[in-house]
Amino acid sequence: MIRLENVSFELSNRPIINDVGFRLEPGAFAALVGGNGAGKSTLLKIIMGLYRPARGAVYIDGEATRGMRVSAIAKKAGFLFQNPDRQIFGATVRAELAFGLAELGISSEEARRRVEGTLERLGLDGSRAPMSLSRGERQRVALAGLFARRPKILLLDEPTTGLDYRECMQMMRCVAELNEEGATILMVTHDMEVALDFAPRMLILADGQLMAQGLTRDLMRDAELLERASLMPAQIVALSARLGIAPGEADDVDSLTDWIAARRAAKGGTAR
Amino acid sequence: MTGLLDYQPGSSPLHKAHPLVKLLLAVAICVCGFLADSIYINIIILLLIVLCGARCGLARQIRATLKGMGALCAILFILQLPFIGSGRVWIDLPLGMTVTDQGVRFCAQLCLRLIGATLPLVMLFAVTRLSDLTNTLVAQLGIPYRYAFVLTTAVRFIPVLLGEMREVIEAQTARGVELDVGVLRKIRLIPPLCAPLLVSCVQRMENNALAAELRGFYLRKRGSGYRRYPLSGVDYAWIVSCVILLTISIIL
Repeated sequence: MIRLENVSFELSNRPIINDVGFRLEPGAFAALVGGNGAGKSTLLKIIMGLYRPARGAVYIDGEATRGMRVSAIAKKAGFLFQNPDRQIFGATVRAELAFGLAELGISSEEARRRVEGTLERLGLDGSRAPMSLSRGERQRVALAGLFARRPKILLLDEPTTGLDYRECMQMMRCVAELNEEGATILMVTHDMEVALDFAPRMLILADGQLMAQGLTRDLMRDAELLERASLMPAQIVALSARLGIAPGEADDVDSLTDWIAARRAAKGGTAR
Repeated sequence: MTGLLDYQPGSSPLHKAHPLVKLLLAVAICVCGFLADSIYINIIILLLIVLCGARCGLARQIRATLKGMGALCAILFILQLPFIGSGRVWIDLPLGMTVTDQGVRFCAQLCLRLIGATLPLVMLFAVTRLSDLTNTLVAQLGIPYRYAFVLTTAVRFIPVLLGEMREVIEAQTARGVELDVGVLRKIRLIPPLCAPLLVSCVQRMENNALAAELRGFYLRKRGSGYRRYPLSGVDYAWIVSCVILLTISIIL
């Protein structure tokens, strides 16, 4: 569970985050969206304890993070950076995964078991050198590092940036699997399609303030709100809205096709 | 937030001076500090630098430099002091080492010289755009552009690399790496911190080199600079001041 209470943060006397509060229940999957410079990554780093808030409190798994070391928070929460190269240094993928576990003080026997399990599950070759992999594969290696640690909370900072469609889907399926296993996920993203497809909840941040929070499919329909936050809705939602379909009724290609087919059939046309 | 070596816009006389004059002034002050025999001259030079910097709105840079150099100088002072045996002995230390009046004076002057040599260079970068400095070096001193480019790029990269380092530290800390640990464990943490930094540096250098080449880096000639930097009467006055300063330091 993640809980923020009136969190504010300043950098060089400039307010970056202003009075932000929200709560994510265990097992929730939320997308944190907003324009560039809205404070999304900063907020994620505050939750991870990398930045300390000037005011307010952050609770991870019911425990206030004020005064907690980042290494203690890291036992409960994992952070995936936008650029995997910031954290990858191991000579092999296997060594890279094992490093994170060693830092958490996990026994070598258990670490070996987790590393091999993670490699198999994510389809990674443990003997490869991470720097010889593609950007998408390196991002998956970084995610695998989190996967092996099995944190209760995952904080993802634009995990799909720079990935092609196939890599993006591979990455998001891994994340979705972790969520299905009970991990609470907060994901910063600019990709509204990814947010709609994977995150049932959405938080909208603008100028360091939380503008709105709620169900992704509902917030995507609020064109004025999205406009103010410098966002565009997912195309399927925009199309559904123009067709006058109720929120949540046709938010993917299959359901929209069914809806159109049903309408055509009702009007006496041919349903394809 | 501007870094220590970043340009700080302003309208002070130093800001308005010709880039070459500012470079000359910085070098002259450094040389004066090392030429001066008297510690009082070093103190006066340092005070003048600080006053001049404060007048140019560089109080933050001066504070940060004094803080950083202060720690380094304190270490140098302590390490060097017991090994200078000449002069009147103030304190006898074990292993035949002593603290003498000349030792204190020598170490203090060394520290003042170091600070006096660093501050003008920090101020030079704070009141001069790197592009202006590069253009002047090329157009007026005839330094090949590639060397001037290397010099300015190296300076420009310092805050960039500091930013990269901060991000790498954040990334490793978020994995549970504890950096405030003993020396031996810190040595073990060198690869996780240095390898990503090295990779990002090489990537950045390659990208920058390609970008520069694609924009016609090797086509540039001595007169290619967009801006011209003529010397004004005030600039000549600055040059005369430099010569006077150097002469006084040599005489005293």
